[in-house]
Amino acid sequence: MVRLRKQTLDGNVETLLLAILEAGPSYGYAIAKELNQRCQGILQLGEGTIYPVLHRLEEKKLISAKWRLAGNGRERKYYRLTARGRKALVTNRQQWQMLGVVMRRVLKSTKNLSPKPQLKGATI
Amino acid sequence: MSRALQKYLDRVMIYANRNEKDAAQIRAELEDHLLKKIADLEESGLSREDAVFGAIEEHGHPRTVGYGLRKRFSWVDVRTHGTARGFVAVGPKAVGIIAMGGVAFGLFAFGGLAVGLITFGGLALAALFSFGGLSAAVFGYAYGGFALGLVAVGGFACGLIATGGMAIGLIVPQAGTSIAPQNSSLYTQYLQDSFLMSRQITVISTFLFWGTLVILILTYLVLTKMEYHRINRADPKLVD
Repeated sequence: MVRLRKQTLDGNVETLLLAILEAGPSYGYAIAKELNQRCQGILQLGEGTIYPVLHRLEEKKLISAKWRLAGNGRERKYYRLTARGRKALVTNRQQWQMLGVVMRRVLKSTKNLSPKPQLKGATI
Repeated sequence: MSRALQKYLDRVMIYANRNEKDAAQIRAELEDHLLKKIADLEESGLSREDAVFGAIEEHGHPRTVGYGLRKRFSWVDVRTHGTARGFVAVGPKAVGIIAMGGVAFGLFAFGGLAVGLITFGGLALAALFSFGGLSAAVFGYAYGGFALGLVAVGGFACGLIATGGMAIGLIVPQAGTSIAPQNSSLYTQYLQDSFLMSRQITVISTFLFWGTLVILILTYLVLTKMEYHRINRADPKLVD
């Protein structure tokens, strides 16, 4: 079983959250749910751990936040991508696509000594 | 809202250690998340109690979540676990202008392993001044059991100017055992004043080392004790 290491992910959760918010404004719980769904069990983030990342993105002005009244009558904090965030996402996406191509090309040319690894969820 | 949920949020906020206004907003956001999660879990067939505990479990350890929610770089950041980051950072790992901890990185670093501009520690690596069991200051002054630097003072000292039990260098004033190029004119010049110079360097170094060490240890202990006291006052079970 191959485990996705935390170090591999460090710094990239920001990009994942930006990608989730690309679809439109959303709030913490919905973002966490969507992320876990898209990751299909390969990456299991502690749901509370997305908030420090969201707040960091807000500090960097890559996303903005607004409190709005939710259906249950409670105030809810909604996040949306800013122009700067959208730009950062485009750049990060390009970087990842390039890296993906490089990794695939290099790893493909290496003789595969071990059987195909089974993916296992990483928990943060 | 259930007591377990309240308790969980209290604990997260103890570790987050934010000001009142920020804390209220963060708490409201986490509360909204957890209530929504509980509702979803109940909808999926779990009992209320199981849903509450499931939501808390999936949210993460209060310390992990709370520490994550601390300000990214505050004036003073003291932590009992993980990495402290601040102007003054105190914790098992510390990164700051003044950093104190098991592993400390900072302009002024003090710890088991200290790396920075001015460092004190078991293993002290510095650009300018290092003091410690094993200290290295390649571009400056090192003092310690084993010292390596431009100026090195210690049991075993190696540097351009070195003095101590055993010293290796170009200029070696009054070392116990010295290894220096005998044909060096600098060596001859400094040999005359070696006793005085060696004594001065050693006295100043020892005074600096022990004086600063005592201040640092006291500061570290006081700040850590205050943090434990703060946590204990808020929730004694967290310290147990």
